[in-house]
Amino acid sequence: MRLNTLRSKMVVFLVALLGVVQIGVFTLVNSSTTRAARIKIDDELEVGEKVFASELKENDERLAQAASVLASDFAFREAIATGDSATMDSALENHGARVKAAAVLFVNLQGMVVDDTIRGAAEPRRFELGALIDRAKSAGQATAIGLIDDRVLQLVAVPVQAPLTIGWIVVGFPVDQMLATNLRNLTGLQVSFVTEQEGRWTLLASTLTPELSRVLLSTLPPFAQAMSTRVLAMPEQHQLRVVPLGESGARHFVAVLQRPINDAMGSFRNLSAKMIALGLFSLLLSIGGSIVIAVGITRPLDALLQAVRRIRRGDYSVPIEIHRGDEIGILAQGLDHMRAGIAEREQRILKLAYEDSLTRLPNRSQFGERLQREILQAADRHGSLAVFVMDLDRFKYVNDNLGHSVGDHLLIEVAVRLRNLLRDGDGVARLGGDEFAVLVPTAEEQRVTELAKSIIEALERPFDYEGQPLDVGASIGIALYPAHGADAQALLRNADIAMYVAKRTRSGFTVYDPHYDTSQQEHLSLIGELRRAVERNELRLFYQPKVTLNSIGVHSAEALIRWVHPVRGMMPPNLFIPFAEHTGYIKVLTRWVLSEAIRQCGAWLQQGMHVEISVNLSARDLSARDLPELISGLLAEHRVPAEMICLEITESGFMEDPAFAQRVLDRLSAIGLRLSIDDYGTGYSSLSYIMKLPVNELKIDRAFVSNMSEDADMMTIVRSTIELGHNLGLRVVAEGIEDSKAFALLRGLGCDVAQGYYISPPMAAEALPGWLNGSVNVRRLPEIPADDVLAAVS
Amino acid sequence: MRIGSVLLLIAAADLARPADLRVTVVDHADQPVADAVVYAVPSNPPPHNEVHKASIDQVHRQFVPRVSVVQAATAITFPNSDNIRHSVYSFSHAKTFTLKLYSGTPANPVLFDQPGIVVLGCNIHDAMVAWVLVVDTPYFTRTAADGTATLAGLPGGDYQLRAWNNSMADEQAGEALHIGAEAPGLRQLHVDGQQLAAHP
Repeated sequence: MRLNTLRSKMVVFLVALLGVVQIGVFTLVNSSTTRAARIKIDDELEVGEKVFASELKENDERLAQAASVLASDFAFREAIATGDSATMDSALENHGARVKAAAVLFVNLQGMVVDDTIRGAAEPRRFELGALIDRAKSAGQATAIGLIDDRVLQLVAVPVQAPLTIGWIVVGFPVDQMLATNLRNLTGLQVSFVTEQEGRWTLLASTLTPELSRVLLSTLPPFAQAMSTRVLAMPEQHQLRVVPLGESGARHFVAVLQRPINDAMGSFRNLSAKMIALGLFSLLLSIGGSIVIAVGITRPLDALLQAVRRIRRGDYSVPIEIHRGDEIGILAQGLDHMRAGIAEREQRILKLAYEDSLTRLPNRSQFGERLQREILQAADRHGSLAVFVMDLDRFKYVNDNLGHSVGDHLLIEVAVRLRNLLRDGDGVARLGGDEFAVLVPTAEEQRVTELAKSIIEALERPFDYEGQPLDVGASIGIALYPAHGADAQALLRNADIAMYVAKRTRSGFTVYDPHYDTSQQEHLSLIGELRRAVERNELRLFYQPKVTLNSIGVHSAEALIRWVHPVRGMMPPNLFIPFAEHTGYIKVLTRWVLSEAIRQCGAWLQQGMHVEISVNLSARDLSARDLPELISGLLAEHRVPAEMICLEITESGFMEDPAFAQRVLDRLSAIGLRLSIDDYGTGYSSLSYIMKLPVNELKIDRAFVSNMSEDADMMTIVRSTIELGHNLGLRVVAEGIEDSKAFALLRGLGCDVAQGYYISPPMAAEALPGWLNGSVNVRRLPEIPADDVLAAVS
Repeated sequence: MRIGSVLLLIAAADLARPADLRVTVVDHADQPVADAVVYAVPSNPPPHNEVHKASIDQVHRQFVPRVSVVQAATAITFPNSDNIRHSVYSFSHAKTFTLKLYSGTPANPVLFDQPGIVVLGCNIHDAMVAWVLVVDTPYFTRTAADGTATLAGLPGGDYQLRAWNNSMADEQAGEALHIGAEAPGLRQLHVDGQQLAAHP
């Protein structure tokens, strides 16, 4: 039983209370009975003393009477009065024996002991206790305790009359055990006759045991103090009275009347033993009783406590079944209502917390928890599983252009299609926005791949909204357990990374590769370095010339960023630009690029070089509202006309949020800046949309250009794109020209501007003027007739 | 035994003829002592050729008289006038005797033949005391209330003159008295104390 529980507190309190009361009562009874016992003994001693005194007196009188009778015996008197010493001697002897005297003396009128039974008729000697005779003279008889020949005797002196007094008979009676015993029987007290001389006590007779007698002698204080002594420790406490009996010279005779206090305490002892027994019994009873009561109270409390613990653990299933009429019962009832209420609300909250209200799919939290559970189970059975994270392409476009209700409808449809693809055991969730996740309880390659493909296919099928087809697609990132992470968080993160890779590479789905993660890690470390790169001026702009094909001349260049890393050396943009885009740092970089490019443009202008410079903008750059103002400021600062700067924006860059992109582009165009659609052909932008944009240039994606020599389809795309651009009044730029064949073909197709390693790799700003002036690489380009080329490839 | 100094005032004594001697007895305070016995013991006591008679009665548990003076060789009878019995005894050296319990007059008187003081008691009644002074002389008398007494007819010769009363346990050694031709003068004797009360 722990001491701080309610039960033990109650038990301890009750028992302590009872214990205190009992100890109090016992102490009270003890002290009062002890006092009573002392008073009782005192009374007994007082009475005993009186009885003792009267008994002693009576004894004296009896002895005196005996002595008188003896002294008045005629024959005795005759023997004393007339006899010779031998006769007298024998008479004393004989008559003394009659009264059981220890000694008989005859003292003549001159106070001389004439004869006695101790020494016989020797020389007469003076009787030592003359006072006794004197008292006898006046009173007729006298008694005293005295010492005769070293014997303590009770002496009685009576006259011998013949018929006139002729002397005194002194009869001595022994002060002995019998006397003491008689007196004890009469008084009920222990009686001791002791004598003191010079502080030393000697025992004459005592009813005490020999041992106690010795103790008495050794503990009695000297005579003077002894008279007032009332209590003596020997070693038990004795109450006593010291009664003086007489003295002989310096010798005192006293009777000690005493009684051990314990004698009188006997009855109390009995009482206290009973009280202790009763106390222990009631203590046990109270312990038992209080335990019973405490348990009666605390058992339901324990049950309540158990219930509360269950509720605290989140287990609301077990009802609290304590049916009592008392407060605890009411409390239990209340608690049970509370439990039911909490359980109900928790269900609701859980639903809210774990379910996506739109698609009725589990949300990110529930998916994360389930994933974690599945991971644990998979770990137990050494199994595996796969996590898909997918993101809808072009969803934002739908949402913004067609309205949120369409977006919602689309999401619901996506959810339905996903569900239909899943088997039992698979799981699907909406992570948020247009992001979904799928859990496959195996990492088996075939199954995973098939599922990924079927999802892609399912989502590429147009969705129908009120008869209008909606095209969306999806990019899927896949992470496998245990290969790609040990917990839900790691798997989701890696699947996410894989998804971004998939999105970037437009590969549909990508299985996570640890390499991505290391590059990710590199990126993480890069952020700090990149930040410093700007401060430390480690960034450079390289310029790749763009040549006009119809006149073979250079009038523009694309500014490409390079990072002269202090450790890694020259870093190509693909190593840090995606990361910068991902983290948002791209905005800083773009600002720097814009600033540097416009400055350089201004510088060249001052040198008389008119070079139009193209700068790449990312989708994120477009979201910066102050972009137009920033560029205007830079242009003004470096006195660069707006048309000298061309902004290249990827198709995907504005397809994420076309409406917003259009507004920004309109503002940029209003400044006078040239705008170019970069990587054209990879996105899904509709021509009707592009037509609305204020662009000046189309840049055919390098994938088409570099492959068009071998691939007729590519050639077709390039040709039709050039035609399309021209039809829209746009300048068409081809990039990624790596050989003369492509160069010739493009020229033949009527492409306006060419850019690529075949013409020139990007170069430092300092190199460009030289290249423009003397470098006539371009001029050395083979003059291949376009028709020939076209014929060769067709 | 202490004896007071004795002053003898002897008048003229005539050896040839008997003379009367006047005596006063005083105590230590020179107060006259009444009822004291005054007696003169001659140097050559006369022979006891006749037995005198005397009687000491017992009346109302008292000896009557309490103090008797008798000449040696006196037979004293102890009649009992009470209607209870008495047992008269004496432990005195001059005469030791016991009369067993009796009433009336015992048949035989008790012969007091030795001079000396005899204290009588009753064995039954401790309060009964009587004194008998047995003297070896016919010349004795008792003082009157004024303490004077006269020893009459003292023949010429030498005597021991003594006084006694019952407060004295022993006889005095006495003082010498010579009766000569001239008449003796007044003599003053001392005794130890007053006569013991007749009823103690």
